[in-house]
Amino acid sequence: MIEYVFILPMICGLLTLLLPVALGRGVLVLAALVHLCLTIMGWMGKLAPVYVNFFRVTPEGMLVLLVTSFIFTLISIYAVSYAYETKLQKERIFICCMLLFLGTMSMVALSDHPIMLWIAIEATTLVSAPLIFIKRSKEALEATWKYVMICSVGIALALLGCFFITLSMDIGNVDVALSFSSLNLVAKQLDPLWLKTGFVFVVIGFGTKMGLAPMHTWLPDAHSQAPSSASALLSGALLNCAFLGIFKVHALMNVAGLGAFSSNVLVAFGLLSVLVAGIFILNQPDYKRMLAYSSIENMGVIAFGIGVGGIASFGAVLHLIHHSLLKSSLFLSSGNILMGFGTKLVPKTGNLAKLFPMTFVSFFAGFAGISGFPPFGIFISELLIIIGAFQAGRYKSVGILIFGLILVFAGAARIVMDISFRETAQKVLVKERFFRIMPSFVLLLTSIGFCVWIPNSVYQKILHTIEIVGGGFHG
Amino acid sequence: MIHMMDTVLVIILLSVLISLGSNRLKALVETMALQGIMVSLVPILLDYGRDGHYGGILFFQIMIVIKGVLIPGLLFTAVKRMAIKREIEPIIGYHASLLAGLIMILISTLVTHRMHLTLPAGREILLSTAITTLAAGLFLMMSRRKAITQVIGYLMLENGIYLTGTALTKQSHTLYVIEFGVLLDLLVGVMIMGIILNNIKDAFDDVDTTYLGSLKD
Repeated sequence: MIEYVFILPMICGLLTLLLPVALGRGVLVLAALVHLCLTIMGWMGKLAPVYVNFFRVTPEGMLVLLVTSFIFTLISIYAVSYAYETKLQKERIFICCMLLFLGTMSMVALSDHPIMLWIAIEATTLVSAPLIFIKRSKEALEATWKYVMICSVGIALALLGCFFITLSMDIGNVDVALSFSSLNLVAKQLDPLWLKTGFVFVVIGFGTKMGLAPMHTWLPDAHSQAPSSASALLSGALLNCAFLGIFKVHALMNVAGLGAFSSNVLVAFGLLSVLVAGIFILNQPDYKRMLAYSSIENMGVIAFGIGVGGIASFGAVLHLIHHSLLKSSLFLSSGNILMGFGTKLVPKTGNLAKLFPMTFVSFFAGFAGISGFPPFGIFISELLIIIGAFQAGRYKSVGILIFGLILVFAGAARIVMDISFRETAQKVLVKERFFRIMPSFVLLLTSIGFCVWIPNSVYQKILHTIEIVGGGFHG
Repeated sequence: MIHMMDTVLVIILLSVLISLGSNRLKALVETMALQGIMVSLVPILLDYGRDGHYGGILFFQIMIVIKGVLIPGLLFTAVKRMAIKREIEPIIGYHASLLAGLIMILISTLVTHRMHLTLPAGREILLSTAITTLAAGLFLMMSRRKAITQVIGYLMLENGIYLTGTALTKQSHTLYVIEFGVLLDLLVGVMIMGIILNNIKDAFDDVDTTYLGSLKD
């Protein structure tokens, strides 16, 4: 019964509300490990869904689930150390919401029914809101308010999109169970006009959650105000889940023969996101906001890659995996910097290389990785996306994409250099700790390892994922 | 049962107009309670006597309780905790809002006709009511400053989307587990918004969203 993958963290989460805090921390890490085991069992095909109307094991879902589970395990170790050191207020709620967050995200990864998917994505918004607000400052309050309101309204529009897809079933006189897998079989009979309308609404709705420009406005606030372990999850796991919603509908469009339309929509949103991120990152005084804008850029790259199709969609899926690994590593390092200097503003920090050597290595390596330098995976994924776009003859789009990437690199490089090497008189508040350093290194090393050697089962899963959107090495 | 249906839809439209023109928060919450109950009645009336099944009566009772009692109750406690009674200085005035509401009804009727859908009898009016409610909800969210009115706007938007879904899709797709999930999300969402409202009140001594503008680039 694969449903345990999301039921278990939810139950553990609610349990921790009753347990003493110290025990709750143990439950957090333990639940994360068990979740990872369950996910791996699911990969090996040992678990089958029971509620087949709603849940299903799909290659794209399993990829997202594995990434989520892996980074959550590492983040939970960091979070425990962080909460212990900062004497976090309301730690019980923090731990409970972390686990509920894991549960709802796993539910997204397994959902096959469009409205069940919607319910799960809306639930991720609701359970992650307390995580953003946990520091209880006025800024955190503002960020939480914007997050809840903008995402709820956006996701409500996605629900409307789901209704339009059902309408396209009724008009086409299709009488099958409402689920993505059965819709894919009869996609050609669906009414194209309403399917298109539904797709647009779904892209706007889940795109809000995924951080696609121009619906991204909540993202920098929420990611910069949340404690770093929560930001790492928001950026590394949640955005993928929202992307999964868009991907499934895009796949449906593709099977229905409307792939050209949905591809163009995705390419347009992708490019806009990359450009907007590039513009806002240039004069950014806050390094956590810088990372948030970089997430917007990377989500744009993924949307672009999936939209282009062919070899680029292989790149996009790789990009999704590596972005999750590297960005969560970066957010964890930024949490160490924030604890060390006590400020998020770049001008008040500096000389990271001397003061925090280990954090410096992980932060700088993460920056190199996210900017697309080898030996990190984003180098390969971006290369594949660009080659794919050339093959598809989208020369202008590639030009815009590369321009955007350069802008982002320029903005980020200035900030990272400033933090790392500028002389400063700032005092060190909190020293580095092993449990706050280790997770980001493991994430970085995984990205490197994954770049050199992709396990065959993962490789096959990626190929199966992109098959349905017309992707592949020879497409 | 078409007459009953029409009455319900007229009450929904009226509640939309009242909420656009009203500045007393208490009255606004009461209107939302009425609207919630009416919206929950629509699917029952659509089903009534058609194929003789009263499926999911229990579900609709839960829905009436959530939309008509629990959610307004949550909002009520939020209003009570706040000293403010009225929405002051809306971004768009009440008379202009009312006029906008009337125009929305007009446009949604036009849109419904232009969609060229072959809907069963009675559903066309339902669809235009749904679109009006949806648009008015969005309008309310954008044109008011108080955070609590924005929450009410969100609720109205949800009501509108629910009605659209009822109008457009066949009842055979309805799975009560799914509907219940959506409802639960809504309830928890309003609870969380209520908690944030209380905290905004504590932090700024007001629930005006103009205070929430310090984070920007």
